[in-house]
Amino acid sequence: MSSPSRDDEASDAPSGAALAAVLAASLGLLALAMAHVLSEVSVPFKNAMQSLGNLWMPGAAGIGPYSGKETAALLVWWLSWAALHAAWKRRELSVGGVAAVALVLIGVATTLVWPPITELFVHH
Amino acid sequence: MSTQRPLTLEAEPARYLWLIVLVLGLIGLTIVLMTAPAQELLGQSAEAIRGALHGTAAGLFMVTATIGLFQGYRLFAGQARSVAELQVGSVVNAALAFFTIALGNWVYIPYRVSGGPRSYFLEHAPEIHKVFFEFKEFAALFTLPLAAAAAFILIFYGASAVRRKDLSTLVAVLLALVFFYFLVAFGLGAAVTKLKSV
Repeated sequence: MSSPSRDDEASDAPSGAALAAVLAASLGLLALAMAHVLSEVSVPFKNAMQSLGNLWMPGAAGIGPYSGKETAALLVWWLSWAALHAAWKRRELSVGGVAAVALVLIGVATTLVWPPITELFVHH
Repeated sequence: MSTQRPLTLEAEPARYLWLIVLVLGLIGLTIVLMTAPAQELLGQSAEAIRGALHGTAAGLFMVTATIGLFQGYRLFAGQARSVAELQVGSVVNAALAFFTIALGNWVYIPYRVSGGPRSYFLEHAPEIHKVFFEFKEFAALFTLPLAAAAAFILIFYGASAVRRKDLSTLVAVLLALVFFYFLVAFGLGAAVTKLKSV
């Protein structure tokens, strides 16, 4: 009798864990875009982003507030992933529905970091 | 009655294949180093090593992101044959996204210094920095969480990620997005570097 191959091993876990990973990724990217836009319209926020990056990132002073924007994205991504995973890991959710929300968030984030769009916020 | 052999690669020929790839790689590297000395490859700048490492990571990421796109297509089409292959590929893809971004941060420092490429672009062609570079630096960051999510799903669900159409489609979309954002960042980064490198 042969043991099952690695490819035959399947987890019957419900879809919640997968959707938590995807939605958390999109929330992290939206946080990145929001941090960028807010940095462009508010000097105190830009300084706060610089301070946030300086807390832990090597070379943060050299890359400016970009370090804080990356940090904000990482924090939102990881914290929301942990929270969503804990809440959804035993739940079977609609993959199409949650994935559609995630795709919209990724689209919004992409739009916000497109410089001509970012500029619109600066001029208002 | 004829019997058909299964289309599987046996372990022994696979080892020879890796050996051939390794020997060809060493021959190629030797030829490159003999015909184009390292200093010429890296450039004359004191910061050239940063750019070279970032470029190398991005070059490797280009390979894995492209493989990821192909694996995603096969997954979507129901033609994926090996879960282990998908898992290894997706983890390597996510790891290279991380290293490319981390080395990108490192090369961003000399880019921003007074008299560096940013100053040059802002003085001569501001849209190159304000539009193309700024979009590239954010598009690159999009690759990591998307690649990590794809790798997580393939590892957490194993063969279920292949068998369940909804999950396989989700992973395929994630891998396609990784390729898209990588392509945007890589293309714009290469263009900016061609105009003025660190």
